Amino acid sequence: MASAEGAVAPTRHDFEFRGTGGEFFRIWILNLALTLLTFGIYSAWAKVRTRRYLYGNTYIAGHALDYDPSPWRILIGRLIALAFFLAYSISVSIWPQFLAGWYLAFIAFIPWLINSSLRFNARNTSYRNIRFDFTGDYVGALVNYVVWPIVGWSTLTILLPRARKARDYYFVNKHAYGGRPFETAFSTLSIYLIYIGGFLLFIALMAATIGGGFWLLGAMVKAKDFMKGPYVMAAILVPYVLSLTVWSTFLDIMVFNISLNHAKFDGRHELRSRVSPWVMSWIVASNLVLILLSVGLLYPWARVRQTRYETTRLSLLAASDLDEYTSELSAARSAIGEEVAGFFDLGIGL
Amino acid sequence: MSVDGRYFFPHSARFIAARASRPEKRVLRFEGADGAMLGEFPVRRVRISERLGNIPRRFRLPDGALFETADNDAADEMLRGTGRGNSAVDRLERSWRWVALSALLSLGAAYGFVQYGIPALAYWLAMATPVNVLDTVSKTTLQTMDHTFLKPSKLGQPQRIRAVVALSKVSVHGRRPGSYDLVFRDAPAVGPNAFALPDGEIVVTDQLFPLIQSDAELEGVLAHEMSHVDHRHGLQGLYQASLVPAAIALVTGDLSQIAQMATILPGILVEAGYSRSFEQQADDDAAAALNANGEDPAALAHLLARMDEKVCGKKSSCPPSWLGSHPATAERVQRLISERKPASKAPQGDLRK
Repeated sequence: MASAEGAVAPTRHDFEFRGTGGEFFRIWILNLALTLLTFGIYSAWAKVRTRRYLYGNTYIAGHALDYDPSPWRILIGRLIALAFFLAYSISVSIWPQFLAGWYLAFIAFIPWLINSSLRFNARNTSYRNIRFDFTGDYVGALVNYVVWPIVGWSTLTILLPRARKARDYYFVNKHAYGGRPFETAFSTLSIYLIYIGGFLLFIALMAATIGGGFWLLGAMVKAKDFMKGPYVMAAILVPYVLSLTVWSTFLDIMVFNISLNHAKFDGRHELRSRVSPWVMSWIVASNLVLILLSVGLLYPWARVRQTRYETTRLSLLAASDLDEYTSELSAARSAIGEEVAGFFDLGIGL
Repeated sequence: MSVDGRYFFPHSARFIAARASRPEKRVLRFEGADGAMLGEFPVRRVRISERLGNIPRRFRLPDGALFETADNDAADEMLRGTGRGNSAVDRLERSWRWVALSALLSLGAAYGFVQYGIPALAYWLAMATPVNVLDTVSKTTLQTMDHTFLKPSKLGQPQRIRAVVALSKVSVHGRRPGSYDLVFRDAPAVGPNAFALPDGEIVVTDQLFPLIQSDAELEGVLAHEMSHVDHRHGLQGLYQASLVPAAIALVTGDLSQIAQMATILPGILVEAGYSRSFEQQADDDAAAALNANGEDPAALAHLLARMDEKVCGKKSSCPPSWLGSHPATAERVQRLISERKPASKAPQGDLRK
């Protein structure tokens, strides 16, 4: 494989994000207004426009991603979900003994739901005229999204990092582009190190938060200020939420980085992620403040700011140009395949 | 007139610089930059993406090829009159007037939903909650409080009897006379207070009794708590607390961390507002009950003022009413005194919708 190409240094393509907060604001506010006016029906279109805007502004080597699902299919998916929910609510209120049956059915349904959602998103995302694909099967999703997490939690989180690794392998390795696979491989030790780091960080943050909370409570008991409910709630909740944000951002970003930094496409193009958990925590936390102070109106700028940071820290190390890739999804497959590709878009990611 | 862009060969990532034009009314032609013919198709068979911000416009050709252009204006110009590839929503998005109108509408709807929608929905849910759920919730709540800040009452028999008599005098004015129950607890950490559990139990702290100067005051407090039970205020509060974040997630369409966290602080403020309106309603009902018994609603006001003084100290250091879960005591006292009226003019018991 390597001999034909020769050991040429790969070309590095940094991802770009060209969207702006002002432009996204117009899209978002119209989405919101139309969703309200149509009692939620427009939300399917709103979702597509939002994601199309964010994907369409993501450029790799001068080409933008494209996202073009049919909003009708998302709407149908939501209506089916609603119908199931109503059937569940009504039947459970009449025959409470069916509750366990519903839960079992739902668990059995989860793998299908996850695969459908991932496949739907992958197949509706394209780059340079070629669509992505997701090739996971029922058993794979069952093992990696249901069984492994159960094993992880039932071993008192000792196997949780291992479960996370299984899930990320499944997520990355079942994605394909132009019929060629993505593949990631990293050691179990490395993900355990991340989780141990996360655990220590969690302890430190919680110690600070709880210590601060007790100090505050003590001060209030002294001052007999017990009725200042909202103040107390805010003073305890805000640091608590911020700590949880920093902690979960740290874990998410570190695991995301390790999955991507070891990912190869077609066995030779590599991906790189240099997202810093600290910068990301700062962006998430300061965005939160901006959104709060603006009654939500600055949300589009916050979203663009975060997306821009995440996107521009990614790069592709291409071993060759990508001209050679062709679509393996034949017309027949995409026509029938997409019908069953899945109605539900759950927004599952790494 | 033509549009410059890139042409991707059928089912391939390989592309060349190209241009599109519309030589006839219903035909689109695609040529390489060098003039080589790449394809010609009826407009209706080309899938043209709608304009959205500045993102590239895509023409999916029936043979699996793709033409892509960043020149949205030229693409619109080329397609003018074909009825294809333009979007009404995009025109709205590019008009500041419609954007401003949408912002006003959204803010207005958000306000209306918070002010009227959520309370109405929570009221309906609370009233629809089965009684056995109320019992379970109340039992676990009392257990939790017993484990944390409540202690067994040290109250003497005469005081207890006094409270039971007071309850029996006002409970006839409640919605379900006979469903209310008294629970006595010592609560040094909380101080003088009384609170209602959803199943009708009214917890009264020992610390309240030294402050009480007349039976009417005790009746006022109990009638106030009865009103909380009748309207299932506690349960309504629980439902409201879960509806606020759900509503925010629904409108932003974002289940991410930012959105979730952004709900916390506004949630607290909004819920404090709801809780104030519950307190007002309970005060109104208590005033009605006292009026009906031929007693003065101001009795409750006097007790409130005394409780306030005890808890917040002499200089009022309690938070302003817009921030607190209870209206400022001065406001409540004013309102109660203004309700000192003949029994016939009792306020209605319904939640203001």
